[in-house]
Amino acid sequence: MTFTTDVVIGLEIHVQLDTKTKLFCGCPTKGSADAEKPNTRTCPTCLGFPGSKPVLNKKAVEYALRLCMALGCELSPKLIFSRKSYFYPDLAKNYQISQYEIPLGLKGTLRLGDGMVVGITRVHMEEDPASLVHPSGTGSSAYVLADYNRSGIPLCEVVTEPDMHGPEQAREFMNRLMTVLSYLDIFDEKTCVIKADANISIKESGYVRSEIKNITGFREIERALFYEVERQKIAARSGEKFIQDTRGWDAERGLTFRMRVKETEADYGYILDPDLVVTEMTPAWLKQVKGSMPELAEDKIKRYVEKHKIAQLDAEVIAQERKLAELFEKVAKEVNPVLAAKWMRRELVRVMNFNKQTFDDLKLDEKHLIELLSMVEKKEITDQVAQKLLEEMVVKPFSPRPNVEKHGLKRVADTGALQKVCEDVIDENKSVVEEYLAGKEKSFQFLVGQVMRKTKGAASPQDVNGLLKRLLGGKAGG
Amino acid sequence: MRTLEVIELIRKGNLSVEEHTHKVLEEAKTVNKEYHYFNVIAEEQALVRAKELDAQIKKGKKTGKLLGIPISVKDAICVKGVESTAGSRILEGYIPPFNATAVQRCLDEGAVVIGKTAQDEFGFGGFSVNVGVGFQVPKNPFDVTRATGGSSGGCAGFTQKTKHAHLSLGESTGGSIVAPASFCGVVGLCPTYGRVSRYGLMDYANSLDKIGPMAKTIEEAALLFEVIAGHDDRESTTLAQPAERYTSYIKKPLKGMKLGIVKEAFAKGNDPAVEKHVRDGIGRLEKEGAVCEDVSLKLAIKYGISAYYLVATSEASTNLAKYCGMRYGKHDKLEGSFNEYFTKVRSANFGEEAKRRIMLGTFARMAGYRDAYYLKALRVRSLIIQEYKKLFKTYDALVTPTMPMLPPTFSEIAKLTPLQHYLADIMTVSPNLAGLPHLNMPCGMEKGLPVGMLLTADHLQEGKLVQLGSWLEGRGGGA
Repeated sequence: MTFTTDVVIGLEIHVQLDTKTKLFCGCPTKGSADAEKPNTRTCPTCLGFPGSKPVLNKKAVEYALRLCMALGCELSPKLIFSRKSYFYPDLAKNYQISQYEIPLGLKGTLRLGDGMVVGITRVHMEEDPASLVHPSGTGSSAYVLADYNRSGIPLCEVVTEPDMHGPEQAREFMNRLMTVLSYLDIFDEKTCVIKADANISIKESGYVRSEIKNITGFREIERALFYEVERQKIAARSGEKFIQDTRGWDAERGLTFRMRVKETEADYGYILDPDLVVTEMTPAWLKQVKGSMPELAEDKIKRYVEKHKIAQLDAEVIAQERKLAELFEKVAKEVNPVLAAKWMRRELVRVMNFNKQTFDDLKLDEKHLIELLSMVEKKEITDQVAQKLLEEMVVKPFSPRPNVEKHGLKRVADTGALQKVCEDVIDENKSVVEEYLAGKEKSFQFLVGQVMRKTKGAASPQDVNGLLKRLLGGKAGG
Repeated sequence: MRTLEVIELIRKGNLSVEEHTHKVLEEAKTVNKEYHYFNVIAEEQALVRAKELDAQIKKGKKTGKLLGIPISVKDAICVKGVESTAGSRILEGYIPPFNATAVQRCLDEGAVVIGKTAQDEFGFGGFSVNVGVGFQVPKNPFDVTRATGGSSGGCAGFTQKTKHAHLSLGESTGGSIVAPASFCGVVGLCPTYGRVSRYGLMDYANSLDKIGPMAKTIEEAALLFEVIAGHDDRESTTLAQPAERYTSYIKKPLKGMKLGIVKEAFAKGNDPAVEKHVRDGIGRLEKEGAVCEDVSLKLAIKYGISAYYLVATSEASTNLAKYCGMRYGKHDKLEGSFNEYFTKVRSANFGEEAKRRIMLGTFARMAGYRDAYYLKALRVRSLIIQEYKKLFKTYDALVTPTMPMLPPTFSEIAKLTPLQHYLADIMTVSPNLAGLPHLNMPCGMEKGLPVGMLLTADHLQEGKLVQLGSWLEGRGGGA
């Protein structure tokens, strides 16, 4: 492959699938308590005891199939598992049951916002190893502890082509992948872990690759990539010789470190796993899984734009966040969708970001939101009032209509009443009026502001503008 | 006394399970001093179990196809609460927390486990001389200077030696049921791959391993087989087809049956006495109405051993990786890095043959060699299966000697190179590679040593083997 861009990034992403039980045994994938004891969700199979045998969890296969379908992969007609052999204390059997020659899915794609398409080389299934606990930090502990609660949790590995040209693009890829996972209901952001290995190279080095292993968590992946690109650029500037290597990510110190120089590809001595039979992907099964597929972001965007006539950008932002999309679709049944889209994608997201809220912990009641936006739609309240209410409703939910009535926030539709307020403001600010009449535009804005304050924002700025201009114009004329 | 008679006595209350168990345990202890058939005699557990059964029987619960019958279990098959090491020091002290399905099914039918039997370490051998570090080599029941055959040598030896009703669970990967059955003059039935659950079997080579019955008579072997055969939800490679009543095939007439006599297996190099007794056996089957014709199994004989050792060692080398002194079995002082630690544990506690097979298997599946060895062996295996399948369109069973020689002495074995050692399995390896059911029937005695005939049938045709075997019963082996 010939590269031309400044930075080349390819990712291998490991996604824990949100099944109830592990990939090859009946142990639960999640503990019941928060402070779970190590090595309690285990059995002879996920501990690799002599004589134990794996039995495939079909649900995990269905989840993996959903992901393959969502990424538009070619599906293998047979599911075949292999043993990937290497000695490591987190591997119960010192081999991992994985897929090798024939992965479940091949040749998929994922489209980014700017229309760029990232190729998916393959999607395959495997079992998670145990977790290793370093009692006094990586590298400085005299011993490690192994917790097999994680051993055997189903993983889907998504391998991309080296199609990304920077950490930002990689972040967007991850974002889009998370959206897909979220729609597919196969990944629980709260309890499941996402990990990545990243291949990074830059033009200055002639694209000599470093592989960063085992970066845990969505944000860490982006941090590690930013760090590594900068590290390579600095190394190139200082004339350092590049060697293909494998690096680790130290999240605490925020840097990558060399683990080993990769002279040859690791030799995992793959053989077919003879404890598992070949599973046929029957058309009936595939059809059933296909039938269970939800509408994905891409389809939603299309539908929002075509059916609801919503702006492309609004549609994209809404569809990329499953919970926002679900809320939107409920609200759009009651309120003009274009108005709803505009308010939710701009105002609601802005207010949530300000309050550092996510859709998982959003307390806002959808009924209240519908009530609020209906009032905006019917011009019962002004945008200013609605914004303010929304800000409060996100922090502490309440029904907006009684609140509007109680505090007299209804749009001042009565021109007589509003004219009275305007006249009062003119009388009370004679010097400002004179400044305006002498040609100072800013003074006019001050007067508008005074009227808005007196009406607590319940008057529309257009109305106030018009009235003031008319009244002052009269004066100027007199 | 035969198993079925003993079950009847126990059922009628004329014999207590404890009494019978006690007798067999005493005998096992005595025999073991000289013959080393047991790695563990589970005396305490067996007597507790026997008393429980007696109490149940008193209360009127008298069902169970194996009611009160003592069984010995190859060490590689897990028995809950009884040290199970597959004959390897690396598993010293390992007590499984669960029963193998085959063991559990025997217990569910009223059996009593009396102990774990001697074997080549993890099944790596044909003579039971490749025992683990610190284990004793079992001796042939007819001549203590000779081998029992392997790897289920302890099962076969005690089955021959005991005077009491007793059954044994053996296991075969490349001939480990029929080879010792032949050398010890007992019946050994190796089932179709997937017919008996491997759940709880410590793996040698998972695509080849089969648990099967060993007994003095074909009827007893068929009875034990009925109990253990059938699908198991916990083992993915078990077959869905229901098990049959294999005992119903005993003495079914042979008229209309066609047997293929494998030409290549009666070639030069065999002990002539072996050939003579096997030919006699064939004659008896012909007399009962079976029609015999010469057939050829060129591919299987030529490439069987090579393909078998590549597949078996490739799988074995991954199976044995888990033994690293971390979670179970032998531990050592925690020193050095993980690599240094497990290297130390494995170096000290695996026997020579285990190490050899780990190295062979690791080599065969390495990048660069994988295509030429492991993957090619898989293709050859498919071709050998096709070769057999073609013959089974015409023939009900194929006949060869089980072993080409009489039980060898330990000093003869010591002179064999590893390759000669592997070549002794020439008749038994191919049916194993093809996953075909096969049966050793004792068919004569030569110089006081037993000779065995090997009958191989199509997949799931164990019934035919029982049928044929029942007409050979009582010919040699002293059983």
